[in-house]
Amino acid sequence: MKVNKTMAYKPQYGPGTSKVAENRRKQMDPSQKLEKMRDVTDEDVVLILGHRAPGAAYPTAHPPLAEQQEPDCPIRKIVTPTEGAKAGDRVRYIQFTDSMFFAPCHPYQRTYTECYRFRGIDPGTLSGRQIVECRERDLEKYSKELITTELLDPARTGIRGATVHGHSLRLAENGMMFDMLQRSVLSEDGVVRYIKNQIGEPLDRAVAIGKPMDEKWLKDHTTIFHSLGGSAYRDDAEYIEYVQRIHTLRTKYGFLPKED
Amino acid sequence: MTDAIFPQVRIVSTRLLRPDTVENLLNRLVQVGGIRRMSLNGPGIPATVPYGPARGQPNPHPDRRAIRVGDQDVQLQVQVGTIILELEDESYIPAIEEAVDAVFAGKGFSCIVQQGRYMKTQPSISDYARYGPDADRDLLGLADPRRKDGLVIIQGTK
Repeated sequence: MKVNKTMAYKPQYGPGTSKVAENRRKQMDPSQKLEKMRDVTDEDVVLILGHRAPGAAYPTAHPPLAEQQEPDCPIRKIVTPTEGAKAGDRVRYIQFTDSMFFAPCHPYQRTYTECYRFRGIDPGTLSGRQIVECRERDLEKYSKELITTELLDPARTGIRGATVHGHSLRLAENGMMFDMLQRSVLSEDGVVRYIKNQIGEPLDRAVAIGKPMDEKWLKDHTTIFHSLGGSAYRDDAEYIEYVQRIHTLRTKYGFLPKED
Repeated sequence: MTDAIFPQVRIVSTRLLRPDTVENLLNRLVQVGGIRRMSLNGPGIPATVPYGPARGQPNPHPDRRAIRVGDQDVQLQVQVGTIILELEDESYIPAIEEAVDAVFAGKGFSCIVQQGRYMKTQPSISDYARYGPDADRDLLGLADPRRKDGLVIIQGTK
């Protein structure tokens, strides 16, 4: 999508002087490349998602746009359809759960990041999970990016389509986030493998997604404020000031708010 | 329901425990003795997938298994994070702390023993509404009294 270069406004992505705030800005800013941490194949992504069998054709919700009559609509002339929309793919989803113990991303952050970086998506943000819906072939492309980059830690991030419980619980003895369906296991060689797809159906073969990151890396790359062992939210004065300002303005909204 | 004269302790670790750690810890606690009642708490591990498109399918989970405590098999249904004990008197607490320290030495995370009141002493209105007037008072406040599998009784040395 084209961005108007003459725009006077330069996005700041977020306030804050702490490392956490910096990490948040880095993830949101599409001009910054996310660090690639691991390799997974397209087939691996399809297996974890569990929406179609690997190699199967994409089922469609409507005929390809080229084959159907488009209404005369000025918006459709402005917006280029994504590959999935062009082909008429179904809308499918991926959902993540991020542990509060210094996971590299978290639900609101994921939504902001995805909105800045991806097109044609519909994210849903909840306290303990974040779902993003889009056309199937776009989803696979985006999922691969979400899985292979620094947005995911194999131990502290779960790809969970259902029964997501675990983000606010203590970690297991081996450092994995609790998952009642145990979709991913930490093998003896130190590699985390998905043995079930995101909704909990056993996979024909395990999908390796790499080794969990160490505590130091997680604390350096987390986007979660944590007063115990991490950087505390209250220590970031700029962040507090910004949030208090927004809070004041939206509370006064409707009473003709004017800044002093 | 517990009687308020009996002291209670709670064993809380900073990580959720594996079944073999729980087995080791409970066997040491059983050897210490003086325990009237015990409850294992933690997030549940269901036998079948509870929601979503795979609802109802079996949920094989290696941590949902039976452990051997004393002379009894105990079927774990949760990933144990907290153990609540009701003791006969306070003299057993130092020995319990020693047992906990012995199990968690070298594990890389800590575990604390707290003394307080962790079991209900009388049924609440909600208990009455849910389970009726004849609910098993030994289980109220610890587990669902309607469950069919009931208690596990581990014989002591008395």
